[in-house]
Amino acid sequence: MDSSIKTLDELKEFLYRAMQLEHATIPPYLTALYSIKPGVNQDATQVLRVIVVEEMLHLTIAANILNAIGGKPDLVRPDFVARYPAALPDGETDFKVGIQAFGREALATFLKIERPAQRPDHLVGKDLIYRKTPPDITALASHPRHEDLHFYSIGEFYSAIAEGIKYLEAEAHEAGTTIFTGDRSRQITSEYYYSGGGELFPVTDLKSAQAAIELIIEQGEGDGGGIYDDDDHELAHYYRFEELVKGRYYQKGDQPGHPTGPHLQVDWEGAYPIKENLKVGDILEGSELREAATAFNTRYGEFLQLLTRAYNGQPNLLLEAVPMMFEFRNMILELVRNPLPGHPGKNGSPTYEIPGGIKQPAVARQAEVNA
Amino acid sequence: MNSRFEPFLGLSVELTAFSYFDLLGTGLAERYLATLDTVVGSEITDALLAAFTALPPPESEARIHAVRTTILGSELLGDVARALIKLWYSGTWFELSSAWTERFGPRPANTTFVVSPDAYIEGLLWKAIGAHPPGAKGQGFGSWAFPPKIPAPAPGPKPDLTPLPLVFKELDQRHDEISASTDAR
Repeated sequence: MDSSIKTLDELKEFLYRAMQLEHATIPPYLTALYSIKPGVNQDATQVLRVIVVEEMLHLTIAANILNAIGGKPDLVRPDFVARYPAALPDGETDFKVGIQAFGREALATFLKIERPAQRPDHLVGKDLIYRKTPPDITALASHPRHEDLHFYSIGEFYSAIAEGIKYLEAEAHEAGTTIFTGDRSRQITSEYYYSGGGELFPVTDLKSAQAAIELIIEQGEGDGGGIYDDDDHELAHYYRFEELVKGRYYQKGDQPGHPTGPHLQVDWEGAYPIKENLKVGDILEGSELREAATAFNTRYGEFLQLLTRAYNGQPNLLLEAVPMMFEFRNMILELVRNPLPGHPGKNGSPTYEIPGGIKQPAVARQAEVNA
Repeated sequence: MNSRFEPFLGLSVELTAFSYFDLLGTGLAERYLATLDTVVGSEITDALLAAFTALPPPESEARIHAVRTTILGSELLGDVARALIKLWYSGTWFELSSAWTERFGPRPANTTFVVSPDAYIEGLLWKAIGAHPPGAKGQGFGSWAFPPKIPAPAPGPKPDLTPLPLVFKELDQRHDEISASTDAR
């Protein structure tokens, strides 16, 4: 099939999925970050903090692109928050990204999320990869029209978006119009987004849209497989995580996979032993832990509602979102420090089951796209 | 977790009027038990835990009375229990009074000290007053325009716990007595 984007509605749905994808990395990174015990793993804490903040930036950038073409960011759509573990593409197979404590296993997953994936020669020019995803699993970065067709990598998913924008804008241009018809006042700029992983610029035309997509790809995978971005000052996420695994920092001039900078210390046991992919239903009914996990989910749902309003014309509401995120830190810390009743040696965790978060049937989404 | 941890937590719940979840949520319970062992020694700590275990059943008048007489009112255990309350609330071990050390002997580690940087941050006092520890647990840029996000506990005592005012009343009384006796000397 032809996987390219041919209509504006389709492009909007792709951008919705880009927001879903960017958001999906936040709960795993955030949980791993706050699972780290106080006083240890300062390098890892710093790396995770920088990366999770940049993922929030990516979420906002995707919202800017969607707004630029007249779309409506919707973070409260029932399928917006992934059900963990969720499936992400990793070449010809997929892998599961879940909620777990900081440790070797979590880092292995994080490296897969950010891996600069280039197709091997024998697959170059081939189409999407067919892979059946069980109905209860959120398949991130899949094709909106065809649930079982997946991109080879996140980079490829974004390339499809970039090409779609270029194609549709050229088509519109020929007809004497543009796809960038969005209300400029809905753009989130650095005025409302202070110190959040990079500068936010308004997306108003093809050039700024392409720059926005490039920023997302470069911060994650690096610039064409290089370890730094194109300004040569910021290390890509993949290589930041790799520094932790290798116990050594990268420095200018290093080759991928061979950091030669100062050594760093990682305490692989220095995290609370949270139960992986915990669900509220697994927590003893009537316990304070269950109450706290539910309260967290409710608050997180309110946070997504606030973001939705902010991305739909009330950017000043983002200022209110900041203290809310710090509130999450306090709530998560309490959850991960409390033992999980009935699971000796395991602690609690946020579950990110957002009220109303039921997977929409693929058919309904397809109808939406065609409408 | 050893067999002393459970009674230690139970005692702490009773003394602080905060819940198990809140106390475990500080991440400091084990360290505070260790602090007791370090400062007053494991024998006195065990005596305190034994006094707690021997209390009449919860939610009875007799229990509240016994907490006052056998723990807070005990010459040996009272000051230690009050220091433990202050430890939970402030993250600081406050040196036991000279009256106590004269009676039961000095302890080398019995000085006023902050247990750890996170002990200051996780002090229950911040939760009790619904505020943030100054200089820590920041809420981010511009957040001072909004109310604090640490919820104060619901007004009124929790049903199955020793009412907080009682503990504080005891604390005040004891404090006055100690000051009076110290001043007299």
